Amino acid sequence: MAVYKRGYRRYRGPLTGRWARFMVLPRHAWGRLYQQRLVILLTMAAMVWPVLCAGFIYLTNHAELLQGLEQEFRQFIQVDGRFFSIFMYVQAGFAVFLAALAGPGLIAPDLANNALPLYFSRPLSRWSYALARLMVLVGMLSVVTWIPGLLLFGLQVGLAGGWWFWSNWMLGAGMVAGFLLWLLVLSLVAMASSAYVKWRVVAGAVSLAFFFILSGVAEMINGVFRVTWGHMIDPAWAVNQVWCALLGVEPPDGPGAWTSALALAVLMLLLAAVIERKLRPVEVVT
Amino acid sequence: MTATPVVELENLKVRLGRREILHGITCRLGVAGTGKAVGLLGPNGAGKSTLILTLLGFLKPSAGRARILGLDCRHSRGEARSRIGYMPENDAFIGDMTAVAFLRQMAELSGLPPEAALEKAHEVLFHVGLGEARYRELRTYSYGMKQMAKLAQAIVHGPELVVLDEPTNGLDPAARRRMLKLVGEMKTEQGMSVLICSHLLRDIEQVCDEAVIMRDGAIVHQCNLEEERRSNRRFVELEVTGDDRNLRAALPEIGAEGVPEGGGRWRIVLPAGVELEAIWGLAGRQNLLVRKLAHRRDTLEEIFLKAMGHLAHTPGEHVGT
Repeated sequence: MAVYKRGYRRYRGPLTGRWARFMVLPRHAWGRLYQQRLVILLTMAAMVWPVLCAGFIYLTNHAELLQGLEQEFRQFIQVDGRFFSIFMYVQAGFAVFLAALAGPGLIAPDLANNALPLYFSRPLSRWSYALARLMVLVGMLSVVTWIPGLLLFGLQVGLAGGWWFWSNWMLGAGMVAGFLLWLLVLSLVAMASSAYVKWRVVAGAVSLAFFFILSGVAEMINGVFRVTWGHMIDPAWAVNQVWCALLGVEPPDGPGAWTSALALAVLMLLLAAVIERKLRPVEVVT
Repeated sequence: MTATPVVELENLKVRLGRREILHGITCRLGVAGTGKAVGLLGPNGAGKSTLILTLLGFLKPSAGRARILGLDCRHSRGEARSRIGYMPENDAFIGDMTAVAFLRQMAELSGLPPEAALEKAHEVLFHVGLGEARYRELRTYSYGMKQMAKLAQAIVHGPELVVLDEPTNGLDPAARRRMLKLVGEMKTEQGMSVLICSHLLRDIEQVCDEAVIMRDGAIVHQCNLEEERRSNRRFVELEVTGDDRNLRAALPEIGAEGVPEGGGRWRIVLPAGVELEAIWGLAGRQNLLVRKLAHRRDTLEEIFLKAMGHLAHTPGEHVGT
């Protein structure tokens, strides 16, 4: 019978499990995000560089194609830590813009429309809500970061053979871990700015400006006090330092990987506290 | 075995900052599964919204305990929330979603499988009168339509208890009537328990079976409106023109008692088994022209005013029972 003819009846059927309920927000959010033309365009643009890198890997594994090149250049083009770090820098840049584009639309509208009481009056805790929103961003950014990275790693293993995997598996693991760290920082920044600034466009600008401003402040501190520890407040620099350690690449001068990791942990805790403070079903004014 | 109350409070205290808002409330409201409505009344600042937010688990009690459908509001929050629907007072929606998409998401969050959620979203939107507008974005809705969409999201998953915070606020008379009709149907046809928080006594009187009056963070009165309505059958309001000076002495002829309120208005208490026709007859014999003769209807208003301390006693009360 047509819905409009039969009238309302209470639902008394089976209910879904906890995991299925948790995935409702990410599923619906992904559905809406990928309806935005700009998100699709940026995601597609972010795939160009991995395709070029795949071509590079193919080239390095076919010695016959490199016959005419000089020995020095042939030694230069190798799939190693430096190759993956360059791949990561480019993809990380795309991830920043994607996070700034998609992140603010996740929490800001819920806060602006006072929708949180509707979510939290259902079997969904504040932490589940925050994790679900985090998952939306991490999932979306994974498509342009560690997933193509892992595919490139797999391509290299497939072309070079098993010996290459056994001597370089740390590169693959380091790349995935490094990307996940960056995605976590990006997602938390996007969510925190989205939670604080209810206007979506401004929230996007704030999450972009966050990195540039902190980078500028860090340079100012270093310049004024003639130190290098100012870099610790620059999340992009700190993440790069951790990546260098994970990929075995020469790091830039400044605080070491562990100190940078600690600085990132503190930053992430602060961002989580900001999100926790704003994600409340009711604002209590005392 | 005792029936599970819809809401059970045991010495419930809630503190916001340094201020105690609810001062040790103890009460049992409604019986789960009976499809009855409980009205929560009180002036601004009485603690109604704080109580509702505590029942939903949004606020933590500083002492005591609150149970909803037999489940502790803090410790069994998830299970309790899967069995209730909540319609907040203020605007609450996701503006850039269509009504169907919004309701589907809300139903899925409450645990309905995706297909069932979509079906129920359509069904409930037709039920509340938004069928034709269900593919429109919520931000394009009028205020009345948003109120209906809020009600729809509260019942889309078929909860056992629906908590409505000022459901008729800002509605025009026709929309208000429709909202109250829907609330009435929810309890009578769907067997849902309803907890309504409202300033409007008429709304509570029209749809509720039980009423609780709050003042300064405490419950000052609790009454069963069904019983009040039954007892109201004995209380009659009469308005006559003519010389009614002898009416008081004549009323005992039919076993009734009454008090004049001036201007030809009377409050009369009928004994059991005596109907309104007896008053007509008596008025005729006294050569009085009856302008109004009806069972008393404004009981809740009187109860409320008494509870607030604005009325010493119900007029005519001392001559009754």
